[in-house]
Amino acid sequence: MAINAVGRDIPSHIEGYGDTTNRLFAGAFARIPEGNRDGGKIRAHGPKENGKLLSGIREAIAASGLKSGMTVSFHHHLRNGDYVVGQVIDACAEMGIRDLTLFPTALFGVHKAIIPHIKSGVIRRIMGSVNGPIGQLVSEGGMEVPVVLRSHGGRPRAVVSGDVHIDVAFIAAPTADRAGNISGREGKSACGAIGYAFTDAQYADCVVAITDNLQPYPIAPISIPGIYVDYVVQVESIGDPAGIVSGTTRVTRDPLRLLIAKYASKLIEASPYFMDGISFQTGAGGIPLAVTAYMKEAMMRHDIRASFGLGGITGYFVELLREGLVEKLMDVQSFDLDAVKSIATDPRHIEISADWYANPWNCGAAVNSLDVVILGATEVDTDFNANVNTEADGALLHGTGGHQDTAAGAKLTIIAQPLLRGRIPCVTDRVHSVTTPGEVVDAIVTEFGVTINPRRQDLIDACKEAKGKDAVPLVPIDELYARARKMSGPMEPVAQGDRIIGVIEWRDGTVIDVVRQLA
Amino acid sequence: MNEPATTHVAQAGTLESMDCLVSITGAGARAIEISGSSAARFKGAIEKKIGEVLDTLSAKPVKVTVQDNGAIDVVLGARVEAAYRRFERGPSA
Amino acid sequence: MRRTMLYLPGNNPNMLTRGYLFGSDGLILDLEDAVAVSEKDTARILVRDILRRGEFGSCEVTVRINGVDTDLWRDDLAAIIPCKIDGIRAPKIESPQTVRDLDEELSRIEAASGIEVGHTKIFCLLETAFGVWNAYDIAKSSPRVAAIIPGGEDLAADLRTNRSAEGTELEWVRRMLIIAARAAGVDALDTVFPRVADDDGLRREVEFIKSLGYDGKSVIHPNQIPIIHDVYTPTEKEVETAKKIIQAAKDAAERGLGAVSVDGRMVDVPVVKRAEFTLVRAGVLPEQEKGR
Repeated sequence: MAINAVGRDIPSHIEGYGDTTNRLFAGAFARIPEGNRDGGKIRAHGPKENGKLLSGIREAIAASGLKSGMTVSFHHHLRNGDYVVGQVIDACAEMGIRDLTLFPTALFGVHKAIIPHIKSGVIRRIMGSVNGPIGQLVSEGGMEVPVVLRSHGGRPRAVVSGDVHIDVAFIAAPTADRAGNISGREGKSACGAIGYAFTDAQYADCVVAITDNLQPYPIAPISIPGIYVDYVVQVESIGDPAGIVSGTTRVTRDPLRLLIAKYASKLIEASPYFMDGISFQTGAGGIPLAVTAYMKEAMMRHDIRASFGLGGITGYFVELLREGLVEKLMDVQSFDLDAVKSIATDPRHIEISADWYANPWNCGAAVNSLDVVILGATEVDTDFNANVNTEADGALLHGTGGHQDTAAGAKLTIIAQPLLRGRIPCVTDRVHSVTTPGEVVDAIVTEFGVTINPRRQDLIDACKEAKGKDAVPLVPIDELYARARKMSGPMEPVAQGDRIIGVIEWRDGTVIDVVRQLA
Repeated sequence: MNEPATTHVAQAGTLESMDCLVSITGAGARAIEISGSSAARFKGAIEKKIGEVLDTLSAKPVKVTVQDNGAIDVVLGARVEAAYRRFERGPSA
Repeated sequence: MRRTMLYLPGNNPNMLTRGYLFGSDGLILDLEDAVAVSEKDTARILVRDILRRGEFGSCEVTVRINGVDTDLWRDDLAAIIPCKIDGIRAPKIESPQTVRDLDEELSRIEAASGIEVGHTKIFCLLETAFGVWNAYDIAKSSPRVAAIIPGGEDLAADLRTNRSAEGTELEWVRRMLIIAARAAGVDALDTVFPRVADDDGLRREVEFIKSLGYDGKSVIHPNQIPIIHDVYTPTEKEVETAKKIIQAAKDAAERGLGAVSVDGRMVDVPVVKRAEFTLVRAGVLPEQEKGR
């Protein structure tokens, strides 16, 4: 056992994960990479080779050389509408392939269909987010090997550095041609950006594109070029459009969320970053979207233009782009129909890969240029450490997403949350598990006001400068914690055993925390 | 020896957010059953509050069932008292 | 200040515990229309316990009780008055006698609970034509009366009309009540604006009642609060003028002068009072306890 830099006891060896001695979290920017990048197998598809087009998923699995014990990867751009993970794993099971490592960029509720394959041993290990029923299964000890959780930037880092080697990448392709050129912009299963699939295409030993919209060669525009793609399979459907994109995203009218958003917006306005050229990421949650709405008003009032909006893009951001309040959008994932339409037609709406978005080990990810990010969390503690992975009862139910990366990159990282969800406090003395360390979290915003990390005295001063209508109600962290505790009453500890069922990596590949099996 | 024939169930509260639904029925000894979002981390606190409210009302032995959706103590206490008073008024109430 | 008094449904724990965070000047914990007849008992206990907990920030705390025409109002008062609240909002007040009945019951409970007799104010809802007709007498009927408030839906029905977007049916009622309130020395507070998504309509209505002289408005949804406060908040220019007036009056008093003028306008006592009031509304001066 050894204590890492956020005070967590990490065993020196974790069964099914490996030694952690040189892999303890030591600080947000402590680990420096050495050596060369990893790479996939060199392939040569010459002019005399047969075409890439295969008749079905089973044929593609056979051609890829996938065997028991290998690692398969998937992207999550089809979100809760995805059919591809299920189709591929079903086929593997039918073909007698077992002990696979599943390496998705994220899993959704729809993927509960693979639970029987976990129980039967087709899937032995998951490296990626586990949500809903799969998370519950894992938390209760339903997998022998611990789940490894990585951020959106930590995942491509793990691939590029060789921590994870992908044997076969299966890429759901809303549009593809016979040469394996891929785009997410068009087709009945259009999802807009396919940023999470890029690194897998570049680094896997074998890449299979699965499409329900095969178009004449060459398609245009192309997101992932066919030079990375070994095989193309046409299927009837890769997903359910209703689960892939939501309709138009609307800003909440829930008064509590609006109040929190208003306070967050006041904090941003009082900060030194609120000026021409500001950049921000707000995602698709209710509170962050409302912050965007308030910021829009403030930007118009002060005649300010933002340089770019980053991350998962919604129709609300597209509206800001069209109205000239934001100059560019850098889109790794398009959340709704308006975003899908925009990325297909507007050159200022730029598609970026997960590597480009958030990888700490390249020559500068987009998050490094970010001024402000609004995030959520299950809980935050008095050291400002944030937990987004485990729920109040200790179950591992959420992926890390871009939380770590944007928090590390942005100049102002805001966690905006109601102080209590029901009786459960969102501010505690010690989070159950640490996803993101307090050293990269600048402020917590609740319905009681704005709580600034004491290491950001500059922000505290800036907020105190704001007067009258722009005044920012400041609440010290100790007072916020006391208030939460008074309302909720004392919490009993999570009932858990010793066995580790999940390893939470910081974006640089060090272990920031572990998750134990529920008792 | 004879149990009173108070087999009816009285309820108070809702399943809305930050509320709870409390059901009370006659029993040989005081019993408490809790389910819902707070149960994992607040079972002891919930039991304590229910006990306090019933003691204040000098309640006879009852079984209290709480379906919780995030009620804080003040709300829980009000629901238990309301349910108990309804229980006391009898099945016609 | 009573620019905004927010109704909180009496059987809704979420709003009862968090409602004060929305920054209204006052709260009305509602045992009447917001509570189904079958839940009057549970709401009364819940509201009582929330009042005992007493976390309401700096809000003035009132409870809307059930009408004196029901058999609920005495139990309501018995439960809530010992919690020492700022006031009750009494529905369907039609005559001075109703207020005196309430006054008597309040005094009895206050005395029994060790609360200073007269502490609990009465906010009178005038929801019938008869009540509106008697507005001045009602406002004068007890020193407890803090405000008179026109009804909305009920009053429209009693007038044999409907509520319109323009508020035509309430226009004369509003004009009449402001005069009655001022004559009796109580506040005039307006009824709620029911169309919660119509921000522009709300703003127009608040501008109208403010121009009549109303002290504020009842609020049905938290999102209405910032809009109403915005209308009631003096502009920077108004604040500057008010500061000048108060300074000039102070100088004049120090030098033993009578009336002075600011920007060519005579500064007499009423003008100074208006200026002070402007600064209170702007948050520049602290609010003084209203003497009666």
